[in-house]
Amino acid sequence: MKDTVRRFFKILCQTEWNATVSGIIVALLSILIMAWWRPWGAVGAIRNWGEWILYGAGLFDKPSDFLISSGSVIGIGFLAGAFISACLGNDFSFKFPPPWEWVKAIIAGILMGIGSAFAGGCNVGGMYNAIGNLAANGFTMWLGLIIGVVLGLKYIYWEMEHVTWGTTGGKNLDFPYGLKIVVGIIAFAVLVWGAYNYAGMSDNYAASLSGILLISAGLGYTMQRGRWCMVQAFREPHMTGDCTLAKSVALSILILAVGCAVLKYAVPMRGSAIAVQAALADAVDELDPDEIQDEDLADAVEEVIDASETAVAAAERVLDPVNYVRGTFGWGGVLGGFLFGLGAMFAGGCGSGTLWRVGEGQMKLWMVVPFFGISNALMTKLFKSMHMEGTGATHVGSKLGMHLYLPDALGYGGTILLVVLAMAAWYIIVDWNEDSNKLIVEM
Amino acid sequence: MSDIKIAPEGLEVARTLDAKGLSCPMPLLRTKKEIGKINSGEILEVLGTDPGSRNDIPGWCARAGHEYLGEREDEGFIRFYVKKK
Repeated sequence: MKDTVRRFFKILCQTEWNATVSGIIVALLSILIMAWWRPWGAVGAIRNWGEWILYGAGLFDKPSDFLISSGSVIGIGFLAGAFISACLGNDFSFKFPPPWEWVKAIIAGILMGIGSAFAGGCNVGGMYNAIGNLAANGFTMWLGLIIGVVLGLKYIYWEMEHVTWGTTGGKNLDFPYGLKIVVGIIAFAVLVWGAYNYAGMSDNYAASLSGILLISAGLGYTMQRGRWCMVQAFREPHMTGDCTLAKSVALSILILAVGCAVLKYAVPMRGSAIAVQAALADAVDELDPDEIQDEDLADAVEEVIDASETAVAAAERVLDPVNYVRGTFGWGGVLGGFLFGLGAMFAGGCGSGTLWRVGEGQMKLWMVVPFFGISNALMTKLFKSMHMEGTGATHVGSKLGMHLYLPDALGYGGTILLVVLAMAAWYIIVDWNEDSNKLIVEM
Repeated sequence: MSDIKIAPEGLEVARTLDAKGLSCPMPLLRTKKEIGKINSGEILEVLGTDPGSRNDIPGWCARAGHEYLGEREDEGFIRFYVKKK
């Protein structure tokens, strides 16, 4: 029995999870968080924290509360999950890189911040969840990411030949494993306590953050445990030929797109909240609650009308098919993906990969985050003032590209077919390359 | 990843690479470069702190044909051993 429990703990908290399994869990949690409220992303959190730094420096107005902004709460949950996983799995320690890596971290953060402004999100919101949301802009960023990562790899090869300053002398500050387990358990308790606190809030918006916090923590936990890194998926086929993660990301995107299509197709088709409101509107058309004599009845009718309106607003906000489609299907997405991919190569992690590595104590990535946040906050502000991405929810007049919800052009069936074909092509190419090594960039 | 492979004690090392504090993909790339500086049959020792190396280095060895001899935990870092093909 004791051995069985130990084996269970080992598989849950210590062994590195298989890439395919991790990808499937990430897709599942990404669908769940969308069904709960909204898709997740990494840059929303990082930008919010960047805005706080700029606010602290007196350059920005006060940004939204980082414990209330849903983007930031996603980031906090994600970090907490990764931290818990790193503690329980004995991966946590403060890893201080050599000096040159600090410099690269700053460059990386700036590039990633600018890239995600052009692409309308980082690798998660701009690519993974964008394709998942059936948004055309996800594909342009995907293309840009491949180009950026390959060029970034060439740069790193060049750097290894030419940069000699500050490339050694990293330090590691480790702690006893027992202490990490205790801290991990405490962090888990704090996380649950936080979720209960949100759930107990009277405001609907704040109460919904409970699920956001927990599902994001699940994502952070899974990605740290599986060392599931999207930049690695793009890089590895060109570096070592290994295509394990590329295949896993392709599968994950496919599952996510199918899940999102189910959610997004079902709402306009069934739209129960909308149907209820329409029926109610018909029923009370002739009825003015103010003229009902019975006060209790009048109150009840009014409450029902309010509730139906809230339900409709929530349904529309959450699963409106055009949500999370950005006006970056075009050069914005490609350039953004390129800059972001290049930055991710400097960093050694994408948006999500940076956050889970922060959770395991990689100080280089701690350095990436503030620069990423500041540069993205500044770019986003600049773009807003220039109306770079157009106006309104459908980005009318975007200078970065088109706003295209794929089912509007191809139907849901055609869109799923497109995602299947694109992911199958990616899968087949990286698999072929693993044997043939044709796409490897030589040192 | 399967269980961690522990390297035998007292290996004769031809060269040591300090990759402490480096994060993905630098430890593996440096290893790849450093192995070019030793002769076939000699052993390269890599000092690392990135948990990802536990998967990356053996995986790369299998792909490139080098023999992965295993790792040994030290104070705050891990020593990885690779025998060049």
